[in-house]
Amino acid sequence: MNRLTSTLSNLKSNNQKALVAYLVAGDPDMDTTLDLMHLFVESGVDVIEIGVPFTDPIAEGPTIQRAHDRALKNNISLKMILSLVDQFRETNKDTPIVLMGYLNTFISHIDMVQATGKDGIDSILVVDIPGELNLESYGISNPNINTISLISPTTKENRVELIANNSTGFIYYVNLRGVTGSSNLDITEIENNINRIKQYTDLPTLAGFGIKSTEDAKTLAKFSDGIIIGSSIVEMINEASKTKEFDRIGKYLKEMKTAIA
Amino acid sequence: MTSNKINYPDKEGFFGEFGGKFVPETLMYALEELENTYNGLKDSEEFKKEFYSDLSAFVGRPSPLYFAQRLTEKYQSGNIWLKREDLNHTGAHKINNTVGQILLAKYMGKKRIIAETGAGQHGVATATVAARLGLECHIYMGSEDVRRQSLNVYRIKLLGAQVHAVDSGSATLKDALNEAMRDWVTNIDDTYYIIGSVTGPHPYPMIVRDFNSVVGQEVIKQSDELFNKMPDAIVACVGGGSNAMGIFYPFIDLKETRLIGVEAGGKGVSTGEHAAPLNDGTPGVLHGARSYLMQDEAGQVKDTKSVSAGLDYPGVGPEHSWLKDIGRAEYVAVSDDDALKAFHEVTELEGIMPALETAHAFAYLEPLMKELDSSANVVINVSGRGDKDINTVAEIDGIEF
Repeated sequence: MNRLTSTLSNLKSNNQKALVAYLVAGDPDMDTTLDLMHLFVESGVDVIEIGVPFTDPIAEGPTIQRAHDRALKNNISLKMILSLVDQFRETNKDTPIVLMGYLNTFISHIDMVQATGKDGIDSILVVDIPGELNLESYGISNPNINTISLISPTTKENRVELIANNSTGFIYYVNLRGVTGSSNLDITEIENNINRIKQYTDLPTLAGFGIKSTEDAKTLAKFSDGIIIGSSIVEMINEASKTKEFDRIGKYLKEMKTAIA
Repeated sequence: MTSNKINYPDKEGFFGEFGGKFVPETLMYALEELENTYNGLKDSEEFKKEFYSDLSAFVGRPSPLYFAQRLTEKYQSGNIWLKREDLNHTGAHKINNTVGQILLAKYMGKKRIIAETGAGQHGVATATVAARLGLECHIYMGSEDVRRQSLNVYRIKLLGAQVHAVDSGSATLKDALNEAMRDWVTNIDDTYYIIGSVTGPHPYPMIVRDFNSVVGQEVIKQSDELFNKMPDAIVACVGGGSNAMGIFYPFIDLKETRLIGVEAGGKGVSTGEHAAPLNDGTPGVLHGARSYLMQDEAGQVKDTKSVSAGLDYPGVGPEHSWLKDIGRAEYVAVSDDDALKAFHEVTELEGIMPALETAHAFAYLEPLMKELDSSANVVINVSGRGDKDINTVAEIDGIEF
C-alpha cells in the first residue's frame, strides 16, 4: 500500500485527524528545507506537502507567491526537489510526501517522475488541471505515486463524483473561493460540501486554504479527515529565514495537532 | 489538411494538441457557465443584431481597407492595403472583442468586470464598454507597463475603472494575467473576466477569435470589391494573437491567401531576448492553455523582451500554435529596431501612426515584398494607432517634453 494511503487509513482507524504542513522547496535554501521537514515530523505533522516553485503560480496568494520567487532565485528545480526527498528518506521512511505544483513543471520532467521508486515522493497534486483529469493523461503513471484532486466550493455535484473517482490519495477540499492565504471561512458551507463529497467517496477528505488559527483547525477537524496548513507556515519560515530559529513553527504545529486531536 | 473552421476547437477546447482548460478547479464552473452562455447566444438573431449594431454605431465598423499609395510606390512590387482597425473607437481592434464579451456579461447578470492589459489598449477597450453599461471595472496591468503606457493608464482611470499595478514576476502582461485570474477565483460569483486575447482556457480563445473575426469577414468582402480577388498575403502582428486570429480565421479555408504572423523579435531571436514563442519556443502550459511557450528546461516561464508592451508575452494563442504546426500560417519575427524604423516610415509616408505592435507587421514588408510580383495584393492589419506609444518612441529618440 502507498505510504500516504496507509498513513491516512491508520489515522482514521485510530480516530485521529491528519495534519498536513506545506513549505516551498528551497525557501530560503535547500538545507533549511530539509531541516524544516524533520522539524515538521517532530512536531506532529503526518504528511509533508512540498511546493514546487513555478514562475506563474496562479492559485497562490502573495505569501506563497513570494516564497516561489525566492526559491526560483535559488534556481530550485524539480530535479533538486527529488534529490531533497532522497536525502530526507535516508532517515525517514515513514512520513508521506506530496508534491504540489503546476502542470508545466511536471510535464517538463516526466522521465524523472516516472523513474521515482518506492522510497521517494508518494503523491502529486497539480493545481492547474481540472479534477477529472489525472497524471496518466500527461504520461505519468508511476504506481508509487498517486493523484490528489481538488474540489472547490464551486464544484457542481456531477463533477464531485467524477473527481472523486479519479483521485487516489485524498480529496483536497478548497475551503474558499480565492487563493492560498485568504481569510473568511464559511464553516457551514465547508461542512455541507465535505459531507456531500463523502457521499461519493470513501477517500479521506482534507480541508485546506485559509486556515490560520487553532480555532479554525478545531472546527474543521470535526467534519473533515484532516487539515492542510500552508501560508501561515511559509510566513513564519520567511520571518526566521536569517536567524534559522524555527522553534515558533514547531510550537505552532504542535498546537495545531492538539487542536485537531 | 482537412477543413477545420467548423470543427475547431473540439469539445474540450483543443486545436489539435493545443488549447484545453488547465485551470484550478474553482474556475471550472465559471468556464462551463461561460461556454454554455456563449453557445446558447452566438447563433441567436437577437444577440447577433445587438453585437453588430454596437460594432456599427459604437465602434464605427466596418473599418476601411485603404490603399497605401506611397508604401506601395516604395516597394514597387505589389499593392499594399491597410485594414484600418486603428480607426475604431478607442483606437485598436481590441474593442471588437470587448463589445462582444460585455454583452455576454450582461446576459449572465455579472456586475463586476475585470481584465488584464499589456499596452493598455485592452484595458481602455474594457473600461469603455464597462462605463457604457455602468459596471464596476478593475484593470490589472504590470507595473512596468503602467510606466511605459502612462497615457492609457490615465484613459482607463478617466473611464471610471480602477488600475491595479502588478509588481510580481516580470511586472508585464503575463503577471497582469496571473493577478486577474487570482481576482477571478476570489470573486467568481459576480465577476466576469474579459480576457483580451485569443489566449487563456477554453472557451476564451474561441470567443475572442469569433468576436474579432468580423475583421477578416470584412476583408473578404472589401477585397472582392476593391481588387476582385482575395489577397495574396495577410500580415498581422502576434503577441497573444487576437488581431491576427481575427483577420486570419475567415481565410483559413481560402488557401490562395498566405497568412503571416509577425512576432516580437526584441533584440533578435538569436539573442534569446525576445517575445517570439512560435519562432523560438516549445509547447508548454501557461494561463490555462497548452501552446508554444518561452520556457527553460525546467519548465519555468522565461522573461520576455520587446519594445512593444502589447507583444511582450511569453505565450501565444493555441490556435496559432496549431496553424503553425499544420503549416497553414507562417510565423516570423521582427526586431525592436526594425519595428521602430517601420513606425517612423509608415508615419511619414502614409500619415498613419501605427502602434508599436502594428509596426512589427509593417516591418515585415521589407523582406516580403521582394518575394512578390507587382500584381500581388498584400493586406496589413493595422491593429492599432500609435498615440499611446509616443512617450516610448520619444524616450528612445532622446526627446524630452
